[in-house]
Parts: sequence; structure tokens; C-alpha cells
Amino acid sequence: MSWEDGSEDRAESRRRILERAAQARYDLQRGWKIYRRSLLAVAGLLMVISISTVSIFADDIAVEHPGRNLQDTRDVWHIDYEPRKAAPFSEECDTRNQKVSLTNLRRWDANATNALSPVKIAEDNSFYEDILVVTEFKEVVDRNGNSISIDLVYLDPTNNSYFWIADELMENNSVTQIKLIYKFENEEMHHWWMPEGYDVCIFGTNDEGQDLFSKILYGSRVSLTIGFTVATLTVIIGTIIGSISGYFGGRVDEVIMRITDIFFAVPGLILALAFVAALQAIDNLAIPLALAILPLILMLIVPFRSAIISVLMPGSEDTLSRIEPAALLAVGLGAVLLLPLGLYGIWEGLFETSDTRTWRLFFSFIVISVFAGLLTLDNRMTKNFSIEGFSERALNTLNWKNPYRYLTLRTAIIFFAAIILFSWSDDTDNQIVIIDNFDRLWKIQIALVFTGWPGYARLIRGQVLYVKEMTFVEAAKSVGAPSGRIMFRHILPNAWAPLLVAFTLDIGGTILSASGLSFIGLGAEPGAAEWGKLVSDGRSHFPQDYWLVLFPGLAIAYTTLGFNLLGDGLRDVVDPKNRR
Amino acid sequence: MKTSEFIVRRIILLIPVMIGVTVFTFAIAQIIPADPAAILCGERCGLVDPVTGKTMLELQRERLGLDEPVVEQFRLYLVNLAEGDWGDSTTYNRPTSEVVRDAAPVTLEMALFALLMAYPIGITLGILSAVWQDQVFDHISRFLAIAFVSLPIFWLAMMLQLIFGTGPDVGGICDPIFGTEGGCLPIYGRHDTALTYPDRTSSLCDTAISGIACYPSWYPSGGTGFHLVDSWFVTDEALANIHPDYSSNSKLFNDTLVHLVLPSFTLGIASAGSLLRYMRASLLEVMNEDYVRTARAKGLSESRVIIVHACRNALVPILTILGFSIGGAIGGAVLTESIFAFYGMGNVAVDAIINLDYSVLMGVTLITAIIFLMSNLIVDILYGVVDPRVRLE
Repeated sequence: MSWEDGSEDRAESRRRILERAAQARYDLQRGWKIYRRSLLAVAGLLMVISISTVSIFADDIAVEHPGRNLQDTRDVWHIDYEPRKAAPFSEECDTRNQKVSLTNLRRWDANATNALSPVKIAEDNSFYEDILVVTEFKEVVDRNGNSISIDLVYLDPTNNSYFWIADELMENNSVTQIKLIYKFENEEMHHWWMPEGYDVCIFGTNDEGQDLFSKILYGSRVSLTIGFTVATLTVIIGTIIGSISGYFGGRVDEVIMRITDIFFAVPGLILALAFVAALQAIDNLAIPLALAILPLILMLIVPFRSAIISVLMPGSEDTLSRIEPAALLAVGLGAVLLLPLGLYGIWEGLFETSDTRTWRLFFSFIVISVFAGLLTLDNRMTKNFSIEGFSERALNTLNWKNPYRYLTLRTAIIFFAAIILFSWSDDTDNQIVIIDNFDRLWKIQIALVFTGWPGYARLIRGQVLYVKEMTFVEAAKSVGAPSGRIMFRHILPNAWAPLLVAFTLDIGGTILSASGLSFIGLGAEPGAAEWGKLVSDGRSHFPQDYWLVLFPGLAIAYTTLGFNLLGDGLRDVVDPKNRR
Repeated sequence: MKTSEFIVRRIILLIPVMIGVTVFTFAIAQIIPADPAAILCGERCGLVDPVTGKTMLELQRERLGLDEPVVEQFRLYLVNLAEGDWGDSTTYNRPTSEVVRDAAPVTLEMALFALLMAYPIGITLGILSAVWQDQVFDHISRFLAIAFVSLPIFWLAMMLQLIFGTGPDVGGICDPIFGTEGGCLPIYGRHDTALTYPDRTSSLCDTAISGIACYPSWYPSGGTGFHLVDSWFVTDEALANIHPDYSSNSKLFNDTLVHLVLPSFTLGIASAGSLLRYMRASLLEVMNEDYVRTARAKGLSESRVIIVHACRNALVPILTILGFSIGGAIGGAVLTESIFAFYGMGNVAVDAIINLDYSVLMGVTLITAIIFLMSNLIVDILYGVVDPRVRLE
């Protein structure tokens, strides 16, 4: 068979793809028609879109980095920034207090100093200070709080960032330190999207003088990431476990459902608390290389299973008669490739000689390519065990122009899994480091996944039980389709709708629980721009400085509400009652 | 199936789950990176006992059974649990069972009172929403239902504190309306700070010290921990001694009640939201039933049809949510308790995690599981009684 021979196949495939696309477009249009009927749902969608946009463009919208360091330890100029807690919409954020030690100035024999911002952290973690342009002096106070004439400190006429301190003040030894209070041209605090002249911190600042608005903006990144990660992982785990439970039923189902019962018996938050505590000793998440490759190998066994069975158990007559050279070849190759894994010593030995990551990647790539090549032969190998025309078939398989030959779903999954796993792999100890810095945020995420999957498992189990009884599944079974195919091709595509709704609602729920855990003090590190943490940081100033609690909490409520409204709207769309 | 048989069957079904929960808590305690023996002996760990020649650490490990294999440790744990020995708390220096016994009623009282507030709100709104389906009220209440479950409970708690518990200079609304000073509802604690409530922790009720019996002889000594109930049984003798302002049972009760309003309302809001949705859906379903049509055809008034015929049947499925809402409320209590300074299971659990007090953590997880399973069991049984069809399954 050559490239030309496949033209009919390709045309058929193209036709089917186009048909699918048209159907999908029609479904989407119909869904949108139902969706937009509800004003609340549309509002929810807008809320989700807005918060996602904000998190993507946080760098541009925010006025400062949320992790700004406000400690100035240098004492050359001894600029002691006094953080000013500012109320929302006050213009306090335009004024700076700057302490200047005259003793130091005298020692350095200088009588001028710069108007400087507090020390900040740049993106590369280095420290820097901005030089501020002063617009107006408000007050000059000595260290005892006595007001000094403003005339004794003046701005350099050529440079608005430079204060000159009059000789009279410099020579007065009783004044050792002055405090300058001035307004500055607050470009850093100016939001480009606000009209000129409105340089206010709209959500106020905290007791360290950090702009709350910026912190909340950056917090949206943390929350959305947690929401999506946790919801995705729980969906995947829950779907796998739930579909196994529903499809196979019987004892497997019984055991899985009893396990979910245990999870449901303890309130989620307390379970998550306990699990976070248990995770405390772990500082990175790594699995041995061998363990990661095992699933790939297991997947490979599937196509060869009949061949393997016939070799291992040559008792039954009809399997015995099917032992063909090709099957033996396949098993032999499989054994050769499996052996290194089975015998860990050899596996290690292989990698000792090629210790660098590049080598390992290269070697793995070759191994995977061989696996993938074999995979593509699987159907014919298992159905028609003949060595005749084998080389021709093998060559045809390698015809890269013919996508329908080798781009099976399974190959793609194996390839992607391998690529992801090896991009995680570390140079040390032959292990795959999945999460390098397993910090407290990761811990609450893992804890939430751990507590969340039973819900999905039950949901998908119910769906599978329902779909399983339908006639098209019967039909697939009667033509002898393997269970994996029935599961993925027939049952799951018909059971995803409630899952989508649950997924959307779960993002909101996860954001709530994660911020709750952060609030207790188990999540984000102190001072981090995480909404729950911001609320708990604001607690010590509550209720006087209510804004430190109000705004981060509003952000949580807004995001959660958005996802919940979205999920509710989707529920209407996928509701069978609305399918017309 | 007879009702008694149904109940027995439900109880038997609980046993594997309970065993699973103990396995689970035990596993968590095994993973927690703290060595309880090292915490118990503290600085004296290195000291050598002259008699046995072992260090204090080794002795402690022996005492706690940490030398044994894991399976043996688990057996020991189960045996001890059955005997009522839940281990010793390293943070409170008390037996865990006592810590849990003192904390559980606090949370439970709060959670139950929260449901008491949530149910009327949720059900009423749900009924009205269903009656006025697709009208403005329905849209508003459906939005409220979603909004209620979207609010972060710890934030809501603080906002309610701000609104009801502070003066107008900060943001409170009470003072101009009710003429109070500094807010109309207390925002911290279970009681007035001036009052020493007569319960187990109070020295007043220690008969050996004060010579006063706080509760009648037939009542549990030191009270049940449910102050709403306890308040009515405090003896006059004790009342005379606690505080001049709280000289009667009703005043004591009122104080407890007032302090419960905000925490419980906060906790109940989320339950009210989900209740509203379920009630609405359930009622809408019932409204299409034949018997409702029959009732209407008989010429009964619409309100009678809804209240007597539809609601009674719509309320039956709502029962099932009761069990879950208790679990949800206990989970939420973890967050609200620290804000309202209630020393219940939530605060205890958080303390236990911060101090890696593994036996308290196990105890709290276990007790919440027991409470949750029991409430579900009761709900199941009630459901079986109310709706006989369930028993036929």
C-alpha cells in the first residue's frame, strides 16, 4: 500500500472531520442560544472573562509588584521609609515621608540628598530604588516632632529629585534627623487607565504601604491557577476511578464506593486540614523514573496481550495454533525492552553511562519511537499473525506522510505522556521531579484534589451506569469492541455534560476552600498576594482598617460567583429538557 | 421491610465506613512528621533513666507503643479508642477525649442553631421562588441562592461583625437605628466577657473548691456543653455567684443566644442558599403531579394547594440535605470559630495542625466523622419513616 492507495481513506476522513466540525458548530450555536436566555448566566460569563483578563494583564494594570520589599537596611542616606496606611480613594499614596539623618550627611560631608522610593524587588530579584520627582513640600519636622521652616530645605532648581539642606540647618548640631513630607509625581502609582489627576490608591494601602489593589490583581493569578489545577486534576482522577467503578461494577464498584463513603464521612475542610498536616514533611514531589515508565509499558502490553497469553499459557489449543513468528517477535522485542525495567540494576546501569539529561532524553526518545512503531503494527499483528509482507508493512508504517497510519489516539497519549514526564525529569537520582518546589500552595492544592475526587467519582459512576444500559453500548459490545474502546468512544462522550457543569462549579468551590485554608494560615506564605492570606493579614487591623478585609474578600466572592453563575448557565444548556 | 429492620440494616452499613475512617485517621497520623514521643518528653529526651539505662525518648516511645510494628500499633489504637483512651494532647496537656468532649458541643450548638436559622429562610424563599416561577422575585432569589454559596464564609463573618458589631464611625449600622452603642450584636466569644459561665472549665462549678452545685444532681455534672440548654438548668445558688447582671436563667439564655446569632447566621447562609435551590426544584416537580392537579380541580384555594398538598410532599426530599448541611456547617465552623473566638472543634483542629498535635487531630477527624455519620443515619431513618417507599429498596 502506498500513499496514493490511501486517498480514499483520507477523503473519507476529511469528510468526517468536516461533518464533525459542522455538528460542533451547530451544537455550540444552539447551546449559546439557550445560555444567553439567562441574564445571570451571561453576567457570570462576563465575570469569569473579566477576572481572567485581569489576571493575564495584571502586570500592566497593577501599579507595583506585590512582593515589594519595604525594608531599607542601607544607612548611607538613612532613608527610613515610614509606611503610610492609606484609606481607599485617599490621595495619601502620593505623599512620602522620608527621614534624613543629618549626622550621616555631615559625616559624608554632603548637604543634598535624593528623593527615593522604598527599596523594591525587580523581576530578577535584585533590589532597586526609584528616584522620585518631588512636586511639593508639605512639611519638615525634626526628630522631636518640631516643625522646621520649609525654607531650610529646598529643591534643586535644575533637578526636582534633589533636596538641598540649608547650611543653617546643617550647622545646627542639635538637629540630628529631619523628616521630609512631600508630594511626588506619582507615576508609579498612576493607573494608565484612570483619568489624569486621579493618582489615588483605589483600594488603599496596607500597614506596610503596599498598594492593596495591585496585590489583589496579582492574587487573581494565584486563585485562578489553583482553581483550574485542582479542578482539572480532580476531574481526571475522579473520571478514571468513577468510570472504572461504573463500568466494571461488582466487587470493584463496591470497594471504590466504600472508599468514597469514608471520604464523605469527614467534612471536606477538616479532611483537607488533616491532609495538609500530613504533607508537611514533603518538600518536593518526585517519583522514581521506573515508576513513571511503568504505565507506558503497561499500555503497550494491551496490543500484545493475546500474543503474550499464547506464549505464557500455551495450554489452550486455539491460542497455541496462533503462535506465529510475528507474535514471537513482538513478545521478544517487548521482553527485551521490558527487561531493563524489570531488573532495576540494568536500568540503572544503562543510565549511569549516559548520565546527562540530554542523553537520557535522546535514549528515551529512541525507546519511545520503537514502541510507537510497534504500536502501529498492533492491529494487524494481533489479527493476522503472519510474517509475510512484514517488512513492507513496517515500511509503510514509517511513511510519515500518511497520518492515518500512525497517529492513533494511544500513540498520541503515549507520546505526550512521555514528553511531559521527561521534561520533568531531573538530573539526580534517576527520578522524575514532578513538582520541584513543593511549597504550601502546592500542599493545599494536593489536599484539595485528594478530598475532591470522590465527588466526581460518584457523579461519573452514575452517568456511566446510566449510559451503559443504552442500546448503542449493547451494539458495540455485541460486535466485540474491547472495554477500553467502549469506555472512551461510546460511554464517556455521552456522559461528559454533568461533568462539565461540576467542573465549572468546582473551580469556584476550590477558590473558596483554598482561600479558606490560606486564611487559617496553611496556604500561602505570610505577605503573599493571595486573597485568603490578604484577608487574614488584614484581620489584625480589623475593624478599623476594614478595607484590608473588604476588598480581597470581595475579589474572592466575585470570582466564585462568576464561576458558579457560569456553571449554573451551563447546567441549563446541557439539561436534556432543553435539547430540542 | 419493617422499620426496625431498616434501621438495623442502616446501622450495620455504617460499620465498614467507621472502620475505614479509623484506618484513615491512623494513616494520617503515621504520615505526620512529628514524633509524639519527642514532643512529650521535650527537653528531657536525652536524659538517661538510671534504672533501665534507657533515654527518656526511648521510654516514651515504649509507653506510646511506637516501637511496635504498624499493624500492632493500629490494633492498640483501636483497642484504646474502644476503651475511651483517645491519646494525650501535647498542646493542651490533657487527654484528647476531654479536649474533644469540651469542643464538640460548642461546634455542634453553633451548627445546629445555624441550620435552625437557615431552614426557614431557605425553604420560604424556595417556596416563593417556585410559586412565582420566572418572575422577578424568582430571578432575584435564584441569584441569592448562588451568591450565598459563593461568599467566603470567613469574610462574611468579618463583614457581619463590621455591620452589626461596630459603631457608625467604623461602618456599623446598628447605632442610629437601635440607639445602641458600639453595635447591637456581640462579635466575640460565647458569653459576655464579664461573665464566668458555669461550666466544666469554671472553678465555680468545682464543688470541692466552691461548695456550690451548678446543676441539679440528675444533670450531667458541669453541664452538657450546649449552653442554650444548660442555661435553663443552672441552679439559683450558682446564679447568685456568677454575675449580678445575669441573675436568672433566662438572662443567661439570652446572653448565649445573642452571642450565637452572628456566628450561626454566617454558617447558615451557605446552607440556606443550597436549600433554596433544592426546595424550588422539588416544589416545581411536585406541582406537576396528578394529586396537585386533582386538588386544584376540587376548587381548593391556590394557597391551600401549595401549602398543604404540594409543600408537604416537596419537603420530603429536602430531608436528605439535612445530613449534608450538618457536615457542611461543621466544616465551615473551622473558619468561623477563630473569627468569633469560639473554642470549638474548628479552633482545636487548627491548633492541632499548627502544633502537629497528632492525637487531637485524629480525635477531631474521628468525632466529626461520627457526628456526620450519625446525623446522616438519623436523616435516613426519618426518611424511611416519612417515605415508606425508601424502605422497599
